[in-house]
Amino acid sequence: MSEIRLVNLRKEFKDVVAVNDVSITFPTSSVTCLLGPSGCGKTTMMRMIAGLESTTSGEIYIDNDKVTNVPVSKRGIAMVFQYPVVYRGLNAYRNIEVPLLVDKLPPETRKDRIHNVVEILGLEDSLYKNVEELDLGTMQKVAVARAVARQSKIILFDEPITNVDAEAKIQLERALKRLSKQLNQTIVYVTHDQTEAMTLADQIVLMKDGNIIQFEDPRNLYNFPCNTFGGWFLGNPGMNFFEHSIEKLKDLSHFSSPLFSSPLEISQLGDSLNGMKKITIGIRPEKVVLSTSRKENMVPGKVMRKFIVTGGQYLVKVKIDDLIIKAKVNPSLGQQIQEKIWVECPLEWVSLFKEDGSRLKSGFTI
Amino acid sequence: MIAVELRDITKSFDNLSVLKNVNLSIEENSITVIYGAPISGKSVLIRIITGLEKPDSGQLFLRREEVLNKSPGARNIGYVPQSFALYPHYTVYDNIAYPLKLMKVPKVTIRKKVEDMAEQLKIAHLLQKYPPQLSGGEKQRVALARGIIKESDIFILDDPLAGLDFKLREQLFDDLRLLQESLNATFIYTTSNPLESLALADYVGMLDQGRIMEFGSVEEMYHRPKYVKTMELLGFPAANCLDADLFRKNGENWCRTKLFDFPVELDSSVKLSSEEEKGTIVIRPQDITFERKIPEDFLKCQAQILLRHDLGGELVVHLEANGIPLVAVISQINSHLISEDELTIGISPSAIALFSKDKGYKLGYGVM
Repeated sequence: MSEIRLVNLRKEFKDVVAVNDVSITFPTSSVTCLLGPSGCGKTTMMRMIAGLESTTSGEIYIDNDKVTNVPVSKRGIAMVFQYPVVYRGLNAYRNIEVPLLVDKLPPETRKDRIHNVVEILGLEDSLYKNVEELDLGTMQKVAVARAVARQSKIILFDEPITNVDAEAKIQLERALKRLSKQLNQTIVYVTHDQTEAMTLADQIVLMKDGNIIQFEDPRNLYNFPCNTFGGWFLGNPGMNFFEHSIEKLKDLSHFSSPLFSSPLEISQLGDSLNGMKKITIGIRPEKVVLSTSRKENMVPGKVMRKFIVTGGQYLVKVKIDDLIIKAKVNPSLGQQIQEKIWVECPLEWVSLFKEDGSRLKSGFTI
Repeated sequence: MIAVELRDITKSFDNLSVLKNVNLSIEENSITVIYGAPISGKSVLIRIITGLEKPDSGQLFLRREEVLNKSPGARNIGYVPQSFALYPHYTVYDNIAYPLKLMKVPKVTIRKKVEDMAEQLKIAHLLQKYPPQLSGGEKQRVALARGIIKESDIFILDDPLAGLDFKLREQLFDDLRLLQESLNATFIYTTSNPLESLALADYVGMLDQGRIMEFGSVEEMYHRPKYVKTMELLGFPAANCLDADLFRKNGENWCRTKLFDFPVELDSSVKLSSEEEKGTIVIRPQDITFERKIPEDFLKCQAQILLRHDLGGELVVHLEANGIPLVAVISQINSHLISEDELTIGISPSAIALFSKDKGYKLGYGVM
């Protein structure tokens, strides 16, 4: 139950800015995922919170205590790394127990805590085996159990399931979900995998080039990215984007696009379009509606290609004038689709972005 | 027209049989994916086609001409290996130009071709850089450009996107397809990734334990699989496989599994060898329904949700029913149906395929 607050936190490696003056507060008792492609600064940021990396400038607070220069061991933070860190030569039980012995907890408390995490992580059968005999996934479970049993107020996870097999991945993710609900610890979890972040996080910090792009709950981040980067990075595939020139538009209250059956009303944006040369329309493929017969608000399109994607759905590439849009549709419609198709981009799922990629607005009316 | 044909190709290493009577006819101007698990024999097959390996027996035809006695160079095949294999001390330009320089193509032509190819693969801005300065995705684009720059009508791409993260692969799917269409060439493409196969392939050959178990158009292979592993593995997430016992009841063929019993209609060509036979039933993840009102004639059972993987537009649901792990897929708009952890799931019997346990071939489908 501890809040982590970063104020203008910066890290430079020679001439590279890994974390660029970031200010953010991670809420207490919840799971925050730091998500982004490799090199975005997420691991560096977490290592600074842990005290494993010095800061170039800025401050780190845990609750109201400034910990920027406090050594690792005094921050009261547990950490799980990409590769399991275990005490070789000890069995799994002893591995989990070591930090509890360091904390001088009475035997009954130690036993209770170990019993609880072992049950959640499904480690019963491996408990008295030497950790060196365990496979990578089980070893990582031991590392997680050790970090969790200590009941530190904060636990940091650095891509903990990247290197384990598919079955152990599911077990670990399931255990993490249960543990986070049960123990009220503040968890910061680094990953490059959007599914992992969307599955585990109460809120996601989306990062790129050392900056925070968006800090939001997973569903809002997915549905309404505040930047084209979020639209692209999340989703399989990511958002459709279409650039539109607005330079020559005399009336900025409406503009037409082949994607819409009638002009898009943008008067609600006020004067914010003044001086802009172009805007980008974004919509997620699964929000694009296709129909084999004409319906209200639909425009005609030509199917360029279709193929099967997750869960037997079809990804259909449709040409509308000179634009090509991707739509993800259910298996039965996907199979029926021939060359001609009707397309709707429902305005409540359309986002507009500025030239610099930042969001102008999401959700429109005709 | 057939561009590449393999007839009864067999290969063993130290008495270990790697390829067993492989027969394949690959249509020209198409993408044929050789799909299989990592040790199914894909790489050996590719090495035989390119000429890096000799088969123990069989015949290989390229452009309808027998080529087993021809050197790799004389076969004129473009090749993109799995690893990037770029020369670190050459610029991107020189890496791409290398195969043309070996062929002593005039410099002016090389420049034009390299620039065109770089433009097509969106790496024109990288031509003066060196491989160590590139990201994984950029290196793969350079490797693709180098493999494809050669003037040929047959290209082999050996799992070229392995190791790249999903976002990079997604971008390259589109580019590879466009590239094949613009070159009007035959692509033979190996992968063990189901989504890559489905996105790229015109045809799929299912390679398992050294044999091509099934071959057909990608739609045919997905919707009407004849071999158990095709149905299990050619799709994401992988389909659910359960052991089943076949038995006779009231003159009908029935299936018994740990979840439910149901009647099956066997394919007309199938003759059961004995009164009772072992089978494998396969259920695709999207055929498990969570509807509150499951239709009367669906099979039903209680299940517990272990984890909901949120892919954004859809959820992959990990379940357990009667001790059996199951995977289902549900679209995000229906996510309210899986808010409880304990629920009843339904499956239409007609969506359940039955395969022979021993040999893996299809026996029939469930019936209502």
